[in-house]
Amino acid sequence: MEPLISLHNVGVHYKRSGNVFRRRSFFEALKSITLDIFPGETLGIIGKNGAGKSTLLRLISGVIKPDTGKIINRGASVSLLALQVGFDPNLSGRDNAILSGMLQGHSRFDVEEKLDEIHEYSELGDFFNEPVRTYSTGMRARLGFSVSIIISPDILLVDEVLSVGDLQFRQKAERSMVRRFQSKQTVVLISHSHHQIARLCDRVILLENGTNVLEGLPRNVIDIYTKSHSAAAR
Amino acid sequence: MQQHTYHDGDPQDQLPKPDDFFSWPQDAAHKHEWKESASRWAVLRKAYPNHPATWFQGANAHMEAGELNKAENLLVFCREQFPNHPNSLIFSATLAMHRHKWDMAKKYLAVARERHSDNLQTWLNSAECAEKNDNIDQAVAFYESACHCTPSQATPFIQYAELFMRTERWEEALIRWEIVREHFPKITAGFTRAADASLKLGRPMEARKLLLTHQYGTDILNTEHPPQSLPSQKNTYTDTVNFLELIWTKAAFNLRSEVNRNYLSYGWWVLEPLLHMAVFYVVFGHLMQRGGENFPIFLLTGLIPWMWFMKSVSSSSSSILSGQNLMLQVGLPSSIFPLIGILQASMKQVPIFALLCVFVWSQGYSPGSHWWALIPVIIVQTLLTISFSCTVAAIIPFARDLTYLVPTGLTFLMFLSGIFYDYRTISADWQELFLMNPIAFLLKCYREIFIDQIVPDLHTLLLWGLGSGAACLLILLAYKHLRYVYPRIVME
Repeated sequence: MEPLISLHNVGVHYKRSGNVFRRRSFFEALKSITLDIFPGETLGIIGKNGAGKSTLLRLISGVIKPDTGKIINRGASVSLLALQVGFDPNLSGRDNAILSGMLQGHSRFDVEEKLDEIHEYSELGDFFNEPVRTYSTGMRARLGFSVSIIISPDILLVDEVLSVGDLQFRQKAERSMVRRFQSKQTVVLISHSHHQIARLCDRVILLENGTNVLEGLPRNVIDIYTKSHSAAAR
Repeated sequence: MQQHTYHDGDPQDQLPKPDDFFSWPQDAAHKHEWKESASRWAVLRKAYPNHPATWFQGANAHMEAGELNKAENLLVFCREQFPNHPNSLIFSATLAMHRHKWDMAKKYLAVARERHSDNLQTWLNSAECAEKNDNIDQAVAFYESACHCTPSQATPFIQYAELFMRTERWEEALIRWEIVREHFPKITAGFTRAADASLKLGRPMEARKLLLTHQYGTDILNTEHPPQSLPSQKNTYTDTVNFLELIWTKAAFNLRSEVNRNYLSYGWWVLEPLLHMAVFYVVFGHLMQRGGENFPIFLLTGLIPWMWFMKSVSSSSSSILSGQNLMLQVGLPSSIFPLIGILQASMKQVPIFALLCVFVWSQGYSPGSHWWALIPVIIVQTLLTISFSCTVAAIIPFARDLTYLVPTGLTFLMFLSGIFYDYRTISADWQELFLMNPIAFLLKCYREIFIDQIVPDLHTLLLWGLGSGAACLLILLAYKHLRYVYPRIVME
């Protein structure tokens, strides 16, 4: 099977400090990543904070380009599942839903056609037409998730989103995500919950210090990661 | 266990129900303490000698404990005492299988199938016997009969599927587990063991799907109504249309948001330039005695176009930096941020320009054909504003220090543009140079149309228009070129 997206020895560095008076120094967020993403799979990415997970998602989604190596995208449209994108607290839930949907790359007409669905899914009732500043944190999260889940693109990059709203909505959100995962969608999932990764992913990549050090079946990679972590802690 | 009193010699009909006591040996059996279980059944046999279970279960406990002779003794009695009981044959067959006497086992089971074809255990034991004799096809046939015999019980269905798991016939196992799921959706094995089979077949995605279905319900597999996503739009035309539509919507929504924040809402759009005018009028008109007869109209015709330019530049100058979250989340092209700022500032100017026209008219400067010249002047100002604002916005992420210079630069430009004084009041030697400032030239044009009631210098206007248009194109090309640079710059 031909991969949808391939990364070959990809590296990214950010400027850490430096100005006219101080020498520039760089921080290598990703050193050398080689990776293929196949159609229909759910790929999990695990690793400590600062391992380069979010940078990797930005690379795959095409927000940034690598400094070294190359990325081959064989015609896949990729988007980060972004919650509460561009939310303005002074606008109503309806307006924010329109804006958020458009910011994620869709026409206003398409988003407006989906508004009733978003309204219903978010369970916001009359609050949907009230300014978002009057919402609780959970209500905001519900609106954000509803927009993203209903209008999100075919290839999803998911960064720790499965923890939105109250317990009941969280279950509903997770269920919706799982339904998406079950369809023929290609998903790249970042989560600190190893349980979630083990349940949802077909394949897992372990990132450490900007390099993919391990790749394989979820349970195997997670076991090795957990063991090496606990050994390091001792 | 419930406490009962029991005395030897009591007639059986005075004893408590036997079932109440059966949990006693069964508890031992559950713990695999088979000898203990057998001895407890022996006690119960004395109390309930006519109850078949005390004999059969006792025999079974002996078999499990490896005491085959003791089991044999009990079963000999059973066959005489309960000749029509199916367990007489089934347990005898089981004992024969323990002793590897397959022919005898088959004989017992054949009779059992003949006499007790409605007994589930008959078929299950027959299947087990066939499997142990490597006659898998016959075992399959017996499991089929077992499933037909008691379709409401999960055991035969599960054991049938397990037969294929044991014989590593994974595809057939998957089919059987699917039938288990159909009939008994709450049985965990239907999902977990099927997932095991899928993994053995090297299909991890299918295995994961099965496990998730078990957790979230079968409807997540429903492909008839998948979660609908919008069609992905990937061509230049729709991209451009969406881009322009997004700029328009975002600017309009930003204005709505701004209005919602204030008490006077839309009133500020008009009040703000009027307050500016009042300040300039007081300072220059009264305190410094610089104004003339038509100073308010002179001031407004300069101030309102200037405020359009000034607000566009200041609202877009840091827009790329403030839009970094959006840029990093959804990968928006960075040119969208200054363009939204410019459009937002421009939309606010529309009613003010309309009021300016009404005010000018009310002061006796009637509209005429020369007012048509407003159109090219406004177009040139739009192009100039876009090119200048976008250039400033494009530079600032690379040199953030310039943010501090923008207000100062705008103030400097304001003083050099002749907003509150007439350019003709400066030395004639400097006037030409003064009008090299495009803002000063544009203000001159506005005043010529509104106050002098003449058509301005269209030739110079055209040159400025072409220059600004070219600058717009260049800066938008630069944005395209720098598309992947800005997200990195704003992060650093």
